[in-house]
Amino acid sequence: MKKVKRRAWAALVIALAVALGMCVYVCRFANEHDQWVSFSANQHIYSGGALTIGTVTDRNGVELAGSADGARTYAADAATRIACLHAVGDTGGNIGTGALTAFANRLAGYSVVGGVSGTGGTVTLSIDERLNRVAYEALAGRSGAVLLCDYTTGELLCMVSSPSYDPLVGFDADNSYYDGVYLNRALSAAYAPGSVFKLVTLAAALENIDDLYARSFVCTGSTEVDGNTITCSGVHGAQTIEQALANSCNCAFAELSLELGGGTLEAYAARFGLTESQSINGIATAAGSFEAAADGSAELAWSGIGQSTDLVCPVTFLRYVSAIANGGVAAGQSLLSGEGGGGDRLLSADTADKLRSMMNYNVVYAYGTDRFPGLTLCAKSGTAEVGDGSSHAWFAGFLDDTEHPYAFVVVVEHGGGGLSNAGPVANAVLQAAVAG
Amino acid sequence: MDALTAYTLAAAKWALPVLAVWLLLRCVRSMLREKYEPELWAFLEGRDGTRAELRHWECIIGRAKSCDVVLASGDVKPTHAALLRSDDGAWTLYDLSGGATANGALHDDGAGLAVCDGDRLTFADTDMTFRALSEDERAETELRRSMPGMNISQGVTLLLLTIFQVLLALEYAENYTGDAQRNAVLGFAFIVLLQWSFFLLMRAIDRRGFEVETLAFFLCTLGVAVTASSAPDEMLKQVLLLLAGLLLFLLLGLWLRDLRRVKALRWLVTLGAVGLLLLNAIAGDTTYGATNWLSIGGVSLQPSEFVKIAYVYVGAATLDRLFRRRNLFLFIAFSAVCVGALALMGDFGTALIFFVTFLVISFMRSGSFATVFLAVAGAALAGLLVLTVKPYIATRFAAWGHIWEDPYNTGWQQTRALSAAASGGLTGVGAGSGWLHDIFAADTDLVFCLLSEELGLIVALCAVAAILGITFFAVRAAARGRSAYYVIAACAAAVILVAQLALNVLGSTDVLPFTGVTFPFVSRGGSSLISCWALLAFIKAADTRQNASFSVRLFSRRHIDGEADA
Repeated sequence: MKKVKRRAWAALVIALAVALGMCVYVCRFANEHDQWVSFSANQHIYSGGALTIGTVTDRNGVELAGSADGARTYAADAATRIACLHAVGDTGGNIGTGALTAFANRLAGYSVVGGVSGTGGTVTLSIDERLNRVAYEALAGRSGAVLLCDYTTGELLCMVSSPSYDPLVGFDADNSYYDGVYLNRALSAAYAPGSVFKLVTLAAALENIDDLYARSFVCTGSTEVDGNTITCSGVHGAQTIEQALANSCNCAFAELSLELGGGTLEAYAARFGLTESQSINGIATAAGSFEAAADGSAELAWSGIGQSTDLVCPVTFLRYVSAIANGGVAAGQSLLSGEGGGGDRLLSADTADKLRSMMNYNVVYAYGTDRFPGLTLCAKSGTAEVGDGSSHAWFAGFLDDTEHPYAFVVVVEHGGGGLSNAGPVANAVLQAAVAG
Repeated sequence: MDALTAYTLAAAKWALPVLAVWLLLRCVRSMLREKYEPELWAFLEGRDGTRAELRHWECIIGRAKSCDVVLASGDVKPTHAALLRSDDGAWTLYDLSGGATANGALHDDGAGLAVCDGDRLTFADTDMTFRALSEDERAETELRRSMPGMNISQGVTLLLLTIFQVLLALEYAENYTGDAQRNAVLGFAFIVLLQWSFFLLMRAIDRRGFEVETLAFFLCTLGVAVTASSAPDEMLKQVLLLLAGLLLFLLLGLWLRDLRRVKALRWLVTLGAVGLLLLNAIAGDTTYGATNWLSIGGVSLQPSEFVKIAYVYVGAATLDRLFRRRNLFLFIAFSAVCVGALALMGDFGTALIFFVTFLVISFMRSGSFATVFLAVAGAALAGLLVLTVKPYIATRFAAWGHIWEDPYNTGWQQTRALSAAASGGLTGVGAGSGWLHDIFAADTDLVFCLLSEELGLIVALCAVAAILGITFFAVRAAARGRSAYYVIAACAAAVILVAQLALNVLGSTDVLPFTGVTFPFVSRGGSSLISCWALLAFIKAADTRQNASFSVRLFSRRHIDGEADA
C-alpha cells in the first residue's frame, strides 16, 4: 500500500502543472487586461466598432463628446466639433489617436478591480477648445497642424489638424481635399523641417565648436559643395552666428554641418528624440528621420539645414523647443489634464539659454516684434522645400514669459514662406492663449 | 431601482468574491490542513513485544523501505509477503517470495492462507504473531479518531454557500424580467433545497465529511448561473440533470462500499464501455468535427462522458491484482480501445484526458517510468497522425498563441472570451450583464471567461481552486485508503477532473491549444455534469476519516451506538 499511495504524487504533479498554467494566465491578465478590454469586439464599450460610453471634456470642462441612449454625442457648437475632431476622435474609430480610441479604457470607466462600469468614465483633455477654434480658423482651410503647450508641465493646450470635418455631418469622400483626413497631422505625420532644423544644428555647433561666437560666416548667395550648389535666400555678407540664424543663412549652416559631420548631427537628432516615435499618454507619435550623409557631401550640407531626407513630427519638434524654453528639460508631454510632468534633459542649461537668446534675436532683429504685439517671443521660421516647387511653412518657438509659458509649432502644408504664412497662425493662437 | 436594492447589489458585487474565497478556504482547511488519525485494522507482534500496525486492508511485508511492515532481518526478501483483508474481515497471507508460512504451513496454489487472530506467521527467520483487532478494540479506536467538522463546521460552510446563492439569485432577479427571471430564481432555489436535503440525509446516516460535496455544489451553483445567463429556458433541464448526477453519486458511492461486488461487475462494465464507444462510432452524430454525440429516443448524450466513469471503475485495481502482469496488459488494451475510438471520432480533447488518466493509473499500478515513457512516445506518434488526418485540429494548434493575429477567424472565440473576461475585472460586471454568452460555446468551452466576465476573476479562480482542492484532497486521502483500488480510483477520478479543467480553462485563455472540453460541474450540459458527480463518488470512497463518507462502511457502528445507549 505504501508504494501505491506514494505514487499518488503523479496526480499531484498534474494538479501543480495546472496551477502553474493558471499563474501564467493570471500574469497575462495582469499585464494585458487593458488591451483585452479595448478590443473593438468588446460589446461592453463598443457598438459597431465605435466606443459608445463615457465623456470627453476639454481642460475647462466643456463637453467635447458624450453619450446618450447608447449613441455618441458631440459638442453643441459645430466650430468646436471641427476644431477638436482629431483630439476627440470620430464615431467609426478611424482616428486612432483620438481620445475615443486611445483612452477607451478610461472612457469605459474600466478598472481592473471593478471591471467596466455601465455609465462609463470621464476623460479630461489638456486641450482648450477655444484655442483649437482660434487655430483652426487661422489656418483658413489650409492643411497642416497647430500645437501649443505649457512648457513647464508638457500639457498640450492646443492641438489642431487640418483638414477636418464635422463628425455629425461627415465629409465628401470623393473630394481630394479630404485625403488623409483621419490622420492627426500633429501627432502622426512627419514633414521636411526646413530651416527650423537649424536649431538642432546650432545646438550641436554650440556644444562642439569652441570659437563659434568669434567666427564670421561669409555668404555670397550660394556655395559649392562637392560640385553641387547650395543656394541661399539672399546675399548675407559677413555675419556673426546670431545674424546667420536670424538670416537663416544656408551658406553658414552648410559650413557648420560639414564641419560637425553627419555622425554628430545624427546623434543630436536622436538625442532630441526627433528620429524616434515618442509616447504621449500611450499614443505613439510618428517617428522622424535623419540620415548621416558622407563627410564633405552636399547631402550632409542639406541635411544640416533641414532638407535632404530629414523628416520631423510636429509634436516631437514641440518637445524640443519646449526643452529650449524650459532650461533644457523637456517636460513629459500629455494630452490629459494634470498628467504632464516629469521630463528628460535634452540640453544643458547653458546651451538652452544661448539658443533662447538667439531665437529672441531672430524675432527682434529679423521677423519684427510688430508682427507679434505684446509677446516676448523666441522663434524660428522654416520654409521646407518639398520637391514639387512648393514649400511647407513652419513656425516654432515659445514665449519667454513666466506668466505665459507657452511653446508652439505651426506647420502649413504647401503654405509658402514660414514667417509670413505660419507666423500669423502662431500669433493668433498665442494672443488667444495670453488673453486667457 | 430603490435605494435598498441598489445597496444590496453594490454589496453583492463585493460579497460574492469574499464568500467564494471564504467558503473555499474553509473547505480546504478542513480537507487538507486538519490532522486525522489513520484507521487501525490489525498488528503483527514480534517476539520482543514490538508491534507493527496494519493500517490498510492491503499490506506488504518485507525488507524494503517501501513495505508497510519493514522487517530488518537480512534473510527477509525486499518484498516478502502480503496480508490482505476482505470486506467480511477475513485476512489472507500471500507469499511473494517462497518463504512465508502461517502456523508452519506453506501455501502453494497462489490462493493464499487464511490467517486468524493469534496465528504465528514466519517470514524467513522472523516470527511474528498476527493480532486482528476485536470488534470492541476497533470500536474503541474509532471513538478516539477525530471526525471532520470538529473544528470547522460543515453546516456553517454550507450556509456561506447558501448566502452566495441567495445574493446571486438577487442579482438575476434585479437584472432579468419575466420568464428568465423566474427560471433563474427557481434554479437557485432548487439547488439550495437539493444541497440541504443531501446534507441532512448525510447527517441522518451520521456522515460528517461534506467538503467535497460543498465544493461540488459551489461549482454547480456557478453552473446554474451560467445557465441563467446563457439559456434561461433550459434551467429546468439543467437542475433535473443535477438531481440525476447527485443520485448517481449516491448510488455509485454506496456500491463502492463493498469491494467484492465492485470486482464482480468489472467485466460487465468493460464490455458496456466498449459497446457504448462502438455504438457511438457507428451511429454517432457529428458536431463541429467531432462524432461524440448519440441520440437515443430524442435524448442526446455524450457516451464518452459515461465511459470516463467505467474507465476509472475498471482501471483501478486491488493490490493482489497488481502482482499479476496480465491484468496490466488487459488494462492497456482497454485504454488503447478508448483513446483510439475517441481519436477516430475526432474528440481529441477527451482522448487527451483519457490518455493522461491512463498515464497516472498505469504509473500507480506499475510504478514503472518505462511504461509511462513508452506510452507517451506512442501517443505522440498517434497525435501527429491525428493532426494530419483531422485538419480542423491542426488549425486549432496553428492558432495557439496567435489568436490576436486573427481575431476575426481562428481567434474569434478566444479573443472575445479574453476581452469579456478582462472587462469583468476582479469583481465582474454583474450576473446576467455580460455579452460573452452570445458567443458560440460560451456556456461550455468558454465558461471560465463567462464567469470571469459576469462574476469576476476572483470567483472564476475560486472555481478552478475548488477542483484543485478536490484533487489535493484525493491525493491526501490516498495515504489513508483501505485498498489500493480506492486509492487508484480516487486519484484517477481527480486526474480526469483536473485534466478536463486544464484543457477547458487554459485552452479558452490561449495558454494551451483550444480543444473544447467542458469545465467540470460548471459547463452547461447533461452528460458531463452527471459523469462529474459519478467521478466524485470514487473520491468519497477513499475518504476514510472517521464518519466522513457515506461510501465507506462503519464497521463498529453498532458498538458505538451500543455505548451511546448504555
